[in-house]
Amino acid sequence: MNTKDFLKETVTYLKQKGVDYGDIRQVHTTRQSLEVKNGMVENLLEDLDQGFGIRVLVKGSWGFAASSTLTEEEMKRVADQAVEIAQASARVNKRKVQLAEVEPCIDTYRTRIEIDPFQVSLDEKINLLLQADEVLRKDPRIKVAQGIMGFNRIDKIFASTEGAFIEQTVWESGGGISVIAVEGSEVQQRSYPQSYHGDYATRGYEFILGMDLIKEAERIRTEALELLRAPECPSGEKTLILEGSQVAIQVHESCGHPIELDRVLGTEISLAGGSFLTLDKLGKFRYGSRSVHITADATLEGGLGSFGYDDEGVKAQRTDIIREGIFVGYLTSRETAVVLGQKSNGTMRADGWNRIPLIRMVNINLEPGEPSLEELIADTADGLYLSTLKSWSIDDLRLNFQFGCEMAQEIKHGKLGRIFKNPVYTGITPQFWGSCDAVCNRNFWHIWGTPNCGKGEPMQAAHVGHGTAPARFHRVQVGVRK
Amino acid sequence: MDNRLQTKMLGKDKALKILTDIVRKSEADQTEAVLVGNSEGLTRFGESVIHQSMIESNIRVIFRVALGKKLGIASVNSLNLEDLKKSLQSALQIARLQKENPYFESFPAPEEIPDLQTYYPETAAYSPQQRAEIIRQAIQRADSYGFRVAGALATGEGEMAVVNSRGLSVYQPYTQVRFNITALTSDGSGYATDTSRNIQQIDFSQLIETALEKCSNSRNPFPLEPGFYDVILEPPAVSILLQWMGHIGFGAKSFQEGRSFLSGRLGERITSSFITIYDDGWDLAGVPITFDAEGVRKKKVILIDKGVAANVLYDTLTGARDHKPSTGHAMLSGGFHGGEPAPLNLFMEPGEASFSEMLASIERGLLITRFHYVNGLLDTRRALMTGMTRDGTFLVEEGKIKKPIQNLRFTEGILDAFSRVKKISRERHRIGFWGSEIGACVVPALLIQGFHFTGKTST
Repeated sequence: MNTKDFLKETVTYLKQKGVDYGDIRQVHTTRQSLEVKNGMVENLLEDLDQGFGIRVLVKGSWGFAASSTLTEEEMKRVADQAVEIAQASARVNKRKVQLAEVEPCIDTYRTRIEIDPFQVSLDEKINLLLQADEVLRKDPRIKVAQGIMGFNRIDKIFASTEGAFIEQTVWESGGGISVIAVEGSEVQQRSYPQSYHGDYATRGYEFILGMDLIKEAERIRTEALELLRAPECPSGEKTLILEGSQVAIQVHESCGHPIELDRVLGTEISLAGGSFLTLDKLGKFRYGSRSVHITADATLEGGLGSFGYDDEGVKAQRTDIIREGIFVGYLTSRETAVVLGQKSNGTMRADGWNRIPLIRMVNINLEPGEPSLEELIADTADGLYLSTLKSWSIDDLRLNFQFGCEMAQEIKHGKLGRIFKNPVYTGITPQFWGSCDAVCNRNFWHIWGTPNCGKGEPMQAAHVGHGTAPARFHRVQVGVRK
Repeated sequence: MDNRLQTKMLGKDKALKILTDIVRKSEADQTEAVLVGNSEGLTRFGESVIHQSMIESNIRVIFRVALGKKLGIASVNSLNLEDLKKSLQSALQIARLQKENPYFESFPAPEEIPDLQTYYPETAAYSPQQRAEIIRQAIQRADSYGFRVAGALATGEGEMAVVNSRGLSVYQPYTQVRFNITALTSDGSGYATDTSRNIQQIDFSQLIETALEKCSNSRNPFPLEPGFYDVILEPPAVSILLQWMGHIGFGAKSFQEGRSFLSGRLGERITSSFITIYDDGWDLAGVPITFDAEGVRKKKVILIDKGVAANVLYDTLTGARDHKPSTGHAMLSGGFHGGEPAPLNLFMEPGEASFSEMLASIERGLLITRFHYVNGLLDTRRALMTGMTRDGTFLVEEGKIKKPIQNLRFTEGILDAFSRVKKISRERHRIGFWGSEIGACVVPALLIQGFHFTGKTST
């Protein structure tokens, strides 16, 4: 039986079982990852992962079961398990799940790429990372030089008892470089384009070639060495301009997570927490200044949070989240949208065939403003320019946050000056976004890809994007109070 | 009725035969095959409703091959012979393209690994109906308080086998249960958690009552200014600090790269002499596992010995670099630790104090149930960390719990904080690693002088 017939057979079987609703996702993922460290290829691996998951709604409760064995016999066993699980939950639940309506689609979607990353030789990829690595290590104080690349091809088919049948192929490419410089007890790091995992996009190998890793290697090595002897970042209430990738993580933690409606409704509270953006705030709460316009957009070409349909078969959409500073929209699913009397805006995604879909960020974007970065700096009399995430933490309602960055640069009388090490800033979400008075224009806007957004039990790592540009914030607490 | 969902476990003979047969087909100088299988059910609840219940069955085989000193890795989640051969060929192809790894000497030689009970049939057989029943009890108890509950109960079985071309052949089946519960009301919350290989060790009723009692006591919290406070950190709060220490500093990789708080400091006093931390995969008080991802027997390794930096954890590659044997702490490639050696069975030595003695010795301080969203990357050489309190933070005055307070943010060097430990409880608790299906700590409560709180939350 081919895969399409397998899915159709499953849907028929689920209907025979009398489920209120059922769907099956079959996912096949090819993954390649490379890591070069200190002149050596530290890791180089390929992985194939495939299987299917069946989700059913029986008597108003969910059941989900998944298996990596694609046979008809196994499909029936797994479907029976899913029904049995749903029935067990239904005996406890007093509240029944209802689903917002969706038009069942029959469609296909493929990421547009220029160069298939799996057709590029491993030799070429290794050599690029080794060349960057050589540049990174041109000083004995560089103790760790690292370059990484990762590529995914995800083939996914979704079929539901409502008649949806959707085939999608998504390519993802990404990577980056970083250094750790050590002198005595001082340790400093610099990364490009982002820290910890690099930058990712739903693009082909052309995304890697566009990074210009060798040129940037020179810069981050120099900056890491300068940081070793730089003074500590001064503390106090400051005006900050955050570099684009730091704005991205700020959007991620203080906007992207609190707008997930499942969090708001309490289903994530025991692990990741809840949200301060309670239902009573929708449409009236001032989240930020009038300069703050945030959208959720799964239709952006190249964004890591872009796709054709979510894992409930809902078409990708663009939705306003914060409009001129006012909170106007959540990320929703078919189940949670009912609470608002709305239709789903298509954000349910699962980390593979063996995980149940959850509401996940798509591309959550801070829409661009007017000034260039040069104009914004020139317009700042006294402040700091903070680059690249180093540490992050936020409370269980997404209000009190603290971020550390790799590097701070002084801004005096409209000009960038000396650098400082170990900058940390902290704040309360609505006050912080309320102090934002400028976002740079589209020339400085980039969709940053985050391939490791954690949520759920078992933990699921979602691939999400954030279109952001550098932005300015006033009266921000820098440093931790004594 | 037999509630057990059909097992997907291969068993020792079949698992080792599959790996042995495929390793024999390899053209590499050396070949290693690791099989990891699991079948786990998990039921989550929130707002006193089961909103997610699932079961997953999966088996993955990871090949690592050596051509001289060149290594290649590939994996596949299929036992189909053609798929296995293809994956093995991918690993070979990668090895051919690799550069030489100067630290690679050999895959490990076979060694005797005694049996240890890590598989409990009753835990493996725990059904979705039984999980739902536990949650029903929690909801009913919460209803009697007028509270809501949220959390998760996971039960399941798994197996791991490692075979290599030097004759190493090891297998371990295991079961695991993980339970956490948060009780909530409009102005308070409480938390409890436990994990074990054996579901008989989990006292669900006690955990449910602990969360409800915490929630009840935490209502109407009042704001408190940040500053330096003496604190009692309960085991869930201690556990997340140790988990982060494992992530940033107990493994040989971060040690060798100069990132670890142990780098260059072995033999030095780094905390109070009250503090002893070790990793032990064999201690039945934890969640034991007897060998690592290379099939090397896990050794008990003392990491901090009465306040002195003592040892780090090795796999074969990092061990060769320091001319040390592996301690049995290899991780699977591409995992949470990115394949770096890491602890999965952390223990802190208990002290002699009872909880009431610890409380009585505080003139003015705080009792902390747990921390939220801790991050230990601020300055890894100092183990500088930040995080928020949650689910039960209380002001203690003159040895008594006075009232609940609103959540606070700490920013603190954990080695410094562990240097100011004044008392350690004699009772310890098992706490599963946060956000992970593997790994656990067994830790006491700590009384620490002058813990640094740097912020508070507000709307």
